[in-house]
Amino acid sequence: MKKVLVVDDSLSVTRQLEKIINDSGDFVCVGHAKNGAEAIKMNHSEDPDIICMDMNMPGMDGLTALRSLVMLDKAVQVVMVTSLGGVGDKFTEAIKLGAKNVISKPFETENVLRILRAL
Amino acid sequence: MAVKFFGQFLVEQDAVTGESLLHAIELQERTNLKLGEMAVAMGFITQQDIETAHSAQLSKDMKLGDLLVDLGFLSPLQLDEVIAHQKATHLYIGEALVKVGALTPEKLEHYLEAFKTDQAPYVANRVELPAWLNENTAAWEMTVDLTYKMITRVLGIQFRPGKFVESNVLSCNHMIAAMDLSGDLTARYLLSVSAGIQKTIAKAILKEDDVENEDDEILEDTVMEFVNIVCGNVVAKASQMGVTLDINPPITLHPSTSGLSVPDHYRCVIFPIHVGDNETMEMALFIKQ
Repeated sequence: MKKVLVVDDSLSVTRQLEKIINDSGDFVCVGHAKNGAEAIKMNHSEDPDIICMDMNMPGMDGLTALRSLVMLDKAVQVVMVTSLGGVGDKFTEAIKLGAKNVISKPFETENVLRILRAL
Repeated sequence: MAVKFFGQFLVEQDAVTGESLLHAIELQERTNLKLGEMAVAMGFITQQDIETAHSAQLSKDMKLGDLLVDLGFLSPLQLDEVIAHQKATHLYIGEALVKVGALTPEKLEHYLEAFKTDQAPYVANRVELPAWLNENTAAWEMTVDLTYKMITRVLGIQFRPGKFVESNVLSCNHMIAAMDLSGDLTARYLLSVSAGIQKTIAKAILKEDDVENEDDEILEDTVMEFVNIVCGNVVAKASQMGVTLDINPPITLHPSTSGLSVPDHYRCVIFPIHVGDNETMEMALFIKQ
């Protein structure tokens, strides 16, 4: 099973994503970080295959962390999570910085899993 | 279930790769000239005129085209010609993806139909607003209408929208979640909910049948998350309308029993959301004047 790290400052988003990931049968959530700095530390300690990360977080935000993560770890695949996915500039900025895809909120379970399985 | 733009939809559907999308966007950026660049290409103005207009924009809150007319660099007729030519030669993202070889014309047609179906629930309906809210009316209408659509689609709540009310105070309720909108519009978006509605929101966001044993912290977080979802989608829809907005993380407010006062230089419009069963829900906008 592929290991997934969830990065979001919202308790409810973390809960939703963990449930979708752990119920999928294909993925297991190995932990969650509350901001970009924690994500970088946990990427080192948990060695996930995939990181699902919020774009807007207090402290180090998602796009700043994305830039560091893809530079430090060529193997990890990052998918951004945001309610702003429909804003063209935000979406393309994430893809330019190395995100593999962007999951828009509100989530649909099948859509989240289709994106993760396509990685 | 969210407001999307076509390129995002295609990557999400695995119809094109992120890399192909970036190539198509680069082609669009090279092809679609900005208003000033187009006016230069059509021989109406010089690069120096654009620089002068940009400097003037620092002290005059006007769009570049209007400013070029105001400064006498372009005639109103020439401005209309430039805009018409921009529209006529605009390369859309789907066409750009065909040009870079990422999609065939047939696939493009297929995915455009699928995209229209996906986004159909987000076509904005008319909403009654105060007469003084006569600038950016379509964006404000969309904000209210999208809230109604998200309450139905995300929360599954049946409700009847009430006529707007203007007030200097947003009355006290179990909790209020708020988010600030900035950019072309400055406003605070607020959602005030009773305890029962808060639990309904928590059930929908957490996808749980029972939330009786959940902490207050997580119950409040679900309302903030719902406001985040609504406002993020409002920003996406606004960008499709040419209105640039940004959002800050949501916050929770617990006003005193006298309610939440509207700050100076703001006007408040409240949209009651009648849900029945003694539960209350209101959406409000504090709009900067």
